[in-house]
Amino acid sequence: MTDRDSAAWWERVAEGRLEVQECSRCGTLRFPARAFCPRCRAEDWRWRAVEPVAEVDSWIVERRTTPPTTIVRVRLARAPHVVMYGNWRAEREPSPGERVGAVFEDGPKVNWVPRP
Amino acid sequence: MAKRLLAFSDRTALAGIGYTDFSKNSGVSTLTLACRAILAALDDAGLGVDDVDGIATHRVGDSVPPSTVGPALGMGAPTWYLDQFGGGSVSHSVVGQAALAVAAGLAETVVCYRAINARSEFRMGTAASPGMEAQYQVPYGLAQPLQHFAMAARMHMIRYGTTAEHLGRIAVRQRAHAVKNPRALMRVPITLDDYLASRWIAEPFRLLDCCLETDGACAVVVTSAERARSLRRTPVLISAAAWGGGDSFLSGASPADPTVTAAAELAPRLYGQAGLGPSDISVAMLYDCFTYSVLVQLEDYGFCAKGEGGDYLEESLPFNTHGGFLSEGYVHGLNHVAEAVSQLRWEAGDRQVPGASAALSTSQPGYVLPATSALILRRDS
Repeated sequence: MTDRDSAAWWERVAEGRLEVQECSRCGTLRFPARAFCPRCRAEDWRWRAVEPVAEVDSWIVERRTTPPTTIVRVRLARAPHVVMYGNWRAEREPSPGERVGAVFEDGPKVNWVPRP
Repeated sequence: MAKRLLAFSDRTALAGIGYTDFSKNSGVSTLTLACRAILAALDDAGLGVDDVDGIATHRVGDSVPPSTVGPALGMGAPTWYLDQFGGGSVSHSVVGQAALAVAAGLAETVVCYRAINARSEFRMGTAASPGMEAQYQVPYGLAQPLQHFAMAARMHMIRYGTTAEHLGRIAVRQRAHAVKNPRALMRVPITLDDYLASRWIAEPFRLLDCCLETDGACAVVVTSAERARSLRRTPVLISAAAWGGGDSFLSGASPADPTVTAAAELAPRLYGQAGLGPSDISVAMLYDCFTYSVLVQLEDYGFCAKGEGGDYLEESLPFNTHGGFLSEGYVHGLNHVAEAVSQLRWEAGDRQVPGASAALSTSQPGYVLPATSALILRRDS
């Protein structure tokens, strides 16, 4: 399901690296991977490693799967405008605003666990 | 009447509405559904196929285009047509664009239709969200509009204390309306306990938070106000039509706050066109793919303050008097427009809101494609 803009991002995830694009002109971090900076419209960018820590915005518990699947919506702690989705990897439900850490799983996928 | 901001306002009218039966299995093709609804709408208006010079629809790979429907009905070459990509969020923009075409003189009479076998052929509820964001969601099991709405509903609950009982009240009220609607698929009354006991689909949504996947079609006839006055039905004027608005909730440089929909940006433009405000609206048809979308639109269309949708339900204006998508059937928006027309003609039978003079009718408020559309309709005076 990748596209020409996103393939390199997914390759990094497969290697266990959480990186987002950083605009070479204005420094804006952006995700998903796209050619243009939506703030300054520059096309030049570089990969920037980001701390794999986020806060929980919301979640759903999908009950039509066995077992149920919990899907979280998170925002990166160091780039709160970056929204990501992933599966919740804990026995309990998340709580609003909870700090979580990324775990990289086969797929590749970025999933989320409570941060100790 | 307040001053209108656009020359477009009130220059066009809805002159006819038509439906097929709503069912879980129509047993006929989507093309058949489209033709039946169009012929019913023309008959309602007292017009024939030869009177139509424009044809419009919207679809997401799930229906038949105007280029098939027109010839199938022996319609002459249209002078204007629209084959809009999109689902619920564009349902009302199709009518708005037809009205613009008529107001601009590109067409005299446009028929707008939406036809789907959304239960027996194309399971609307399991359709993936369109767009390039899907690759960041589908691997985690996040693939359906229902799930995005549920995610937003949870945020509203976290931030504003909205409860399951609030959502349930919407389902119960709309079912009570559907009991009075012979067209409705679901006509057995439900209680709040029934709602709370219905099975989980994707928490915080239960089965009774969700609309009905439906086989059916609906059509409306748009013509000039002047022409509509010469036809047999009470004209329903298109006072405002707006579309657009909203940022993506799913991605981007600054994803929007999911507790505020595209409707919040659109509403002032819509009311401004009509020269009306929320207090002038007699009855609202609010896009109810899920209970929550009603609650958030009550806020974003200005009937109450942000976060107060749950409590406002106690005193709210009448909404979704046909039972809505939750209980009448889900034809993706045009059945909202048609019910608004019935209300404004004072032909809604047991469901009639006494003296209804202006109606708001809205589309999916932007959780899938980041935009919405809506109409304000007015009884011709």
